[in-house]
Amino acid sequence: MERGGGFHGYHRHPIHPTSGMQQQDMKQKQPETTNNASTDDNECIVREQDRFMPIANVIRIMRKILPPHAKISDDAKETIQECVSEYISFVTGEANDRCQREQRKTITAEDVLWAMSKLGFDDYIEPLTVYLHRYREFDGGERGSIRGEPLVKRAVAGSDPGPFGMGPFVPGFHMGHHHNGFFGPGSIAGFFKDPSSATGPTGFEPYAQCKE
Amino acid sequence: MRQAKTAYSGFLSGGGIPRRHDPHLLPLARIKKIMKKSSVDVKMISREAPLVFSKACELFIEELTKRSWNMTIQGKRRTVHKEDVAHAVATTDVFDFLIDLVHPNTSHHVDLNEDLEKKQ
Repeated sequence: MERGGGFHGYHRHPIHPTSGMQQQDMKQKQPETTNNASTDDNECIVREQDRFMPIANVIRIMRKILPPHAKISDDAKETIQECVSEYISFVTGEANDRCQREQRKTITAEDVLWAMSKLGFDDYIEPLTVYLHRYREFDGGERGSIRGEPLVKRAVAGSDPGPFGMGPFVPGFHMGHHHNGFFGPGSIAGFFKDPSSATGPTGFEPYAQCKE
Repeated sequence: MRQAKTAYSGFLSGGGIPRRHDPHLLPLARIKKIMKKSSVDVKMISREAPLVFSKACELFIEELTKRSWNMTIQGKRRTVHKEDVAHAVATTDVFDFLIDLVHPNTSHHVDLNEDLEKKQ
């Protein structure tokens, strides 16, 4: 019996024809890759574990939130595991639509953030933007080293366990009301503007001015 | 735990200073796979997009869990069940896209009051 159609039709089949293969697929066989056109879409067998986040990771994140005495049933764990995949699909679909409208081939971080905002996940934007900015500061991101001023210093005052240590979900920034003024440089605020005002034919690059 | 055998093998794990990524991130390659399968015409994905998702999914799980737990304690229980997740989805606007997933038409609707009586 199928469990839910979902937005993009993910199903968890109780009897999997390739269950024998799942054992050898315990390892993540696909290493971290950079941009590449998909060449494995012809794969007709979709291993269940490839469609979801590893349940151990999901459980760990849940336990961060729940009090120590709380228990989680197996069906709740699986449900949330499925919801995460649905979330990724949902947001990616929106981001992809935007890329297509703007005739771009690559879904960028900005596209993802834009899609999340459009779909109502405004509260996530600020912590994600901080996270992304720190990644770019320390790692160079995909555009090389960025030496801009810290974007939102106040967001992490007093709670900085590491370059990416976000700690608990940053509360109380009233995200919904401060889209434009909140991020400081207009390049980030421009993130929420109409795509028609994007810079250049290649589309929207709010970090472009920070390149060099 | 299978963690060591997953995509984390390429990153520093546990202890140490997370130079590139927080070791508790969700696996980026898996995220990328899910993104690709979301639509037939997803072509290329930047390196940063799965990274944003890994953090976003963490936030998403946290929010969904928090809301589900609220349903659990309303029912005076200590175990989060699928029905709690379904109820959290039903009462949160941004989670509307999950309604069919958590509450398929073929299954019966669970009356939470009934559930409470059974548990007590």
